Amino acid sequence: MKAVFIAYNQALTEKIEFILDRMSIRGFTRWNQVQGRGSHTGEPHMGTHTWPAMNETILTIVPDEKVNELMDKLRHLDSKTEMQGLRAYVWSVEDAI
Amino acid sequence: MRIYETAVKKPITTILIFVGVVIFGLFSLRYLPIDLYPEIDPPMVTVFTFYQGASAADIETNVTRPLEDNLNTVNNLKKLSSVSRDNVSLLTLEFEWGSNLDEATNDIRDVLGRIEAFLPDGVDKPILFKFSTSMIPIMMLSATAEESYPALTKILDEAIVNPLNRIEGVGAVSLSGGPKREIQVNVDPFKLDAYNISVEQLGNFIRQENLNLPGGVLDIGSHTYPIRVEGEYKSSDELGRLIVGSFNGRTVRLSDVATVKDTIAKITMDERTNGRTGARIIIQKQSGGNSVKIAEEVNKVLPQLKRSLPSDVQIEMIFDTSEFIQNSINSLAMTILYAGIFVVLVVLFFLGRWRATFIIILTIPVSLIVSFIYLYVTGNTLNIISLSSLSIAIGMVVDDAIVVLENITSHIEKGASPREAAIYGTNEVGLAVVATTLTVVAVFFPLTMVQGLSGIMFRQLGMIVTLVVVVSTIAALTLTPMLASQMMRRQPPRKTGIIKVIFDGIDRFLTGLDNFYESTLAMAVRRRFLVLFVSIGIFIGSIFLLPMVGVEFFPPADNGRIEAKVELQMGLGLETTKVTARKIEQIFLEKYPEVEVISTSAGSADQGNIFASFSDNGSHIISLTMRLSSATERNRSIYEIGDMMRADLSLIPEIEDFRVDPGGSGGGMGSGAATVEVIISGFDLDVTGRLADEMAETMTNMAGLRDVEISRDKSNVEYQLVLDREKMALHGLNTGLVANALRNRMHGLTAAQFREDGEEYDIVVRYDEVFRESLDNVEGILIPNNQGLFIRLSEVGTLKEFFSPPSIERENRQRIVRVTASLFNASMTDVVRDVRAAFDRMDVPVGVGMDIGGTVEEQQESFADILLLLLLVIILVYIVMASQFESFRSPFIIMLTLPFAFTGVFLMLFITGHTLNLISLIGSVMLVGIVVKNGIVLVDYINLMRDRGLALVQAVIVAGRSRLRPVLMTTLTTALAMIPLAMGIGEGSEIWQPMGISIIGGLMFSTMITLVLIPVVYTLFGAGRMKREKKRLQMMEEEI
Repeated sequence: MKAVFIAYNQALTEKIEFILDRMSIRGFTRWNQVQGRGSHTGEPHMGTHTWPAMNETILTIVPDEKVNELMDKLRHLDSKTEMQGLRAYVWSVEDAI
Repeated sequence: MRIYETAVKKPITTILIFVGVVIFGLFSLRYLPIDLYPEIDPPMVTVFTFYQGASAADIETNVTRPLEDNLNTVNNLKKLSSVSRDNVSLLTLEFEWGSNLDEATNDIRDVLGRIEAFLPDGVDKPILFKFSTSMIPIMMLSATAEESYPALTKILDEAIVNPLNRIEGVGAVSLSGGPKREIQVNVDPFKLDAYNISVEQLGNFIRQENLNLPGGVLDIGSHTYPIRVEGEYKSSDELGRLIVGSFNGRTVRLSDVATVKDTIAKITMDERTNGRTGARIIIQKQSGGNSVKIAEEVNKVLPQLKRSLPSDVQIEMIFDTSEFIQNSINSLAMTILYAGIFVVLVVLFFLGRWRATFIIILTIPVSLIVSFIYLYVTGNTLNIISLSSLSIAIGMVVDDAIVVLENITSHIEKGASPREAAIYGTNEVGLAVVATTLTVVAVFFPLTMVQGLSGIMFRQLGMIVTLVVVVSTIAALTLTPMLASQMMRRQPPRKTGIIKVIFDGIDRFLTGLDNFYESTLAMAVRRRFLVLFVSIGIFIGSIFLLPMVGVEFFPPADNGRIEAKVELQMGLGLETTKVTARKIEQIFLEKYPEVEVISTSAGSADQGNIFASFSDNGSHIISLTMRLSSATERNRSIYEIGDMMRADLSLIPEIEDFRVDPGGSGGGMGSGAATVEVIISGFDLDVTGRLADEMAETMTNMAGLRDVEISRDKSNVEYQLVLDREKMALHGLNTGLVANALRNRMHGLTAAQFREDGEEYDIVVRYDEVFRESLDNVEGILIPNNQGLFIRLSEVGTLKEFFSPPSIERENRQRIVRVTASLFNASMTDVVRDVRAAFDRMDVPVGVGMDIGGTVEEQQESFADILLLLLLVIILVYIVMASQFESFRSPFIIMLTLPFAFTGVFLMLFITGHTLNLISLIGSVMLVGIVVKNGIVLVDYINLMRDRGLALVQAVIVAGRSRLRPVLMTTLTTALAMIPLAMGIGEGSEIWQPMGISIIGGLMFSTMITLVLIPVVYTLFGAGRMKREKKRLQMMEEEI
């Protein structure tokens, strides 16, 4: 079991959701309307007059075998629209109820 | 924080706000005046212009036409009509309903000021006259007397009229038809001639002797005394002893040449009540007065006043409009009560919980009471319209609360705490509740914008329903969740007992109904095209019902009053007319035990009376006003009785023309029968007269028409004195002298006033009656000339017989003749078609036109308004729904119910035998807002099921099953609340019967269709939704 944390421009919401649906990943927790900015490039997404865009984040716990496919799909989506901003991080889940 | 969240968290504030509203509402109710209809002032201004001595034709050219030409420019003028009669021109300016009459009268005054200088010399200043509803008498009493008859006027004046005038709100109390005391000096012309005295001299003597004059002051010693002459007659006997001259050394007294009679004036109008001689007392209210309160007060003081009357004077009520108002208001209040009971039963039946029922029912008084505040603040009255608006609204105000509470209950049953359930449950349905309310508002608010007469009637209806429904939604979003959070608990299993048996039975029945509906729906969805074609077939079939359901303007009401006008041969004297009047009275009283009071007046009112100029007057006219027992106490309606009276009248040979008006002609709006008016316009009076006669002939033969009348009077026979100016000059006379002399001898010379007890009575000198009965008498009149010589009238002129020109009527500056008839058991459209066809067959010269007016005109305007309104309402409702669903398709599916609502209306009207009229049409307009509510609830839920991923057919069936109960509940509460209205129990409520019937029919029928057809159509459109979904997924695939 791995935890995947995805942070992305809210414009990508539909597409991210579609990817999860396609991969039959049902469970997730989502925060919408969050602020954030990239470490190196890209516009900050602060929801202010200067930087009006906003981010959204998803935390989803997926079986180990699905992680790679999910990351590939996200990477592909990011490469198509690099300026939108999409980041994903994976770490292990130690216990769950 | 959202409104329902605040309400739930602050229960005390919420409840106190509503308590405050209720208290303010009850306070307003206490001060609301009660009336039959909202105050409606007909937008008419009349201009009277007197031009003494001019004939109808002279008046037309010299007065009426210049006035018309100039007044035509006044703003907002709709129709300009005029009547030119001998001596008077009467112009009526009709404006659009709702226009500002004050402004209009100002404009008219400006115009009159401008043209006054161009009118002929001798024309009096034009008089403006404005009608208002407060001029319609609210009560009419009759007074009859035997021995006290000669003094009746004085007795009534002191004992009844003056005390009644002091009652607050009473505008005027007037007395008509009572005897008037007059001191007559009836001269014998032969004796007068013998003593060489003229009538004018006699008058002069009488006037000179009747004099009180202060003569100045007298200083006697240290005192000053006034000195005066007291010559006024102390009693009427003195007159006879008056010395009027001397002849051959003998004094001539008045009694030598004339008889002096202290008697009552010759009556030009004979008033009787139930055949006894008497007078009428007419009570009018001040504008804004409370008719019911005034009538109550009058009825309270009347027994007291009666005690001071002589024993033979009887006072009886001819009519009391307040009785009708009171009965109508009471029956409407009962209607509201019944409606409330029905709503309680329905809610209890479906929910099976007392607490839930209580919470829902509480929204009824809260929202209804707000309308009293509205009425009070806007200065309106509690009337038939406002009360029936309440009974229409009562079934709708609970809908929102039902939807909200149903959802909260289901949350509680799932285990949520009442407080959270109240907040979430309201949140879920809040938007749908607001949307259904908006559709209702979209229907009722435009009602306030209807123009014309119907607009005035429906403004209150629109405002009240809009307000009540909005308040009910606010209550459903605040009061209902708040009370639910406080009172609702998870339902414990019912204890055994009778209650359990009943409610378990109901539960089983409802579940069975759910199952039945589910299987029906499953079958219908499988055979969707069959369902579609059958539905279309039903709708088209119902259109063929329409010709069988008649069309009329306004449903007639039974106010227990019949008026009749009977014309005998032109020029017949009062004595003969009276005989016929007694005959008619006797027939009516014998044949119709329903007639309680019959009040008859024969003859004409005093000349110069402004009211007399409005109506036909003449010694040959009898008018009857009958009061019948109240509508609930008799089997025959006023229309049936009216019909039988017509048959009776047509059997009396001396009657030339008559009309019977059940309900009265001018009393309540719309209560009289509908009229058709054929207006023939053209300059040549002979030609139009002939055409009018022909038209009247054909119209009399038409089955659907009654009481055909021609507005132009038949030519009057009159005698004119044609004078020879040369001969007059020879004898030292002129026309003025001769004319005055003639008038003084025939009509009489008012010589002086006899004063007694502060009252003045005329002393009238004229020829004794026996000398006023033949042409010889007239020709034998001796006229004194300037030299004091007497010239016989036949020396200077001759009497010739003439047909005087009839009165000339004009409309929009053209001469017209009207042929009017009232409609009976026939469709207006058929009659109009027949009339037009008949006119086409006539020999009509160039320049003569024909037009149809009367109620038809108004009806067409009103119907056009309502149809336009219907269109507007449909568009508005579509917009509201489309914005709620954010879709063009869903509202379209929902609107498919509308045709079936109309099918239901036609069907129900056909079954109950009612007609399509203004009221049932308004009912149909309301249906647009009411029937779509069911569709909204259903389609919204199907959409929800689809969004949750259910397959199309399954979504439809699941949604249908779960929404069946709320749909049935809201439909039943609305429909059952209308039942008392549709049954038309009690007086006055029959006006609203067609509305109740059409709403119930339309709602029930469309609900049945909605429950099957809408899911079916949804599945037809659903395929499109699937296709689009597939396309979207494909696009997504490409993009990632």
